[in-house]
Amino acid sequence: MATVRIPTPLRVLTGGEDQVQAAGDTVKDVIETLEKNHPGIRERLLDDKGVRRFVNIYVGDEDIRFLDGLGTVLKSTDEISIVPAIAGG
Amino acid sequence: MSTSNPERDALQHKSALVVGVGGLGCPVALALVEAGVGRILLCDDDLVDSTNLHRQILFSEADIGQDKLDAAERALYRAGALPGSIQLVRSRLLPENARELVRGVDVVLEGADNFATKFLCADACWLEQRPVVHGAAVRLRATVLSVAALGAPCYRCLFEDLPSGAAAPNCAEAGVLGPVVGFAGALMADRALSVLLGDASLFGSLVSYDAKTDRAREHTLSARAECALCSSERSIDSISYDRYTAPSCAA
Repeated sequence: MATVRIPTPLRVLTGGEDQVQAAGDTVKDVIETLEKNHPGIRERLLDDKGVRRFVNIYVGDEDIRFLDGLGTVLKSTDEISIVPAIAGG
Repeated sequence: MSTSNPERDALQHKSALVVGVGGLGCPVALALVEAGVGRILLCDDDLVDSTNLHRQILFSEADIGQDKLDAAERALYRAGALPGSIQLVRSRLLPENARELVRGVDVVLEGADNFATKFLCADACWLEQRPVVHGAAVRLRATVLSVAALGAPCYRCLFEDLPSGAAAPNCAEAGVLGPVVGFAGALMADRALSVLLGDASLFGSLVSYDAKTDRAREHTLSARAECALCSSERSIDSISYDRYTAPSCAA
């Protein structure tokens, strides 16, 4: 089970939880698990080309773009962070 | 960072542009003043509103309805800004003024409340070869990223382009918590001061702060090979109006 850190804009989909557990061998698998448990979250993260251009997904401190993208293989202890573009202040 | 006397002397000859005098811009400007930065340009066109006061620390109830820039100027001189060091730009950062404004300073601090301005500022700074510190805060989350002059990675390496449509983060549901913008603004100023004093070690490092868990994470970014702004394949070589159209965050 990977730990997924949920950013503020997406917590409306996780019942306010700031982190959730999700099973999956890869980042893509984890997102599919998230979608089953929290419908609507996949659309906020992915489009038909892959990860949306204003969202970044990290495994640990590494951007998955510089790993194997959505196919990045996970260890059970991995922590996934979702960092969306935000504007405000 | 703390500033020694030689550093304060150096900072007197430096200049900074603060884009947006809001929750981020207020602590940013105050920190720059306290550090002794010699010329600080404040860029905004808004009025002080009662809903600003919990986080926009340069303003008080007596300022409600007044130009933010006038109120900020008064507050900064009261705080000890060097005589003549505060300069006011009574406008938003716009496609028609962005390049000229950033060209005139040593570092830019961008704390805009909308994506269009953030991308415009990123592009203008890169085209004019100016370092920029980007900051953002929504509710309990803040991010800060500093980008070198002609830097890679840049803001567009991180977030390629403006969010659009229903998939964009829902600003209308968001609020902004005072201590979070205070933290982010202080960090932005700290990074800008490092830049002004010649420290390049923090370029390309993204800090993501979550006040709920009280945890800050630092991600080291890599330049994106197909980045439209900073890569060899870049397609942005001018400021085009139609590139910066996106809804503002109402929060």
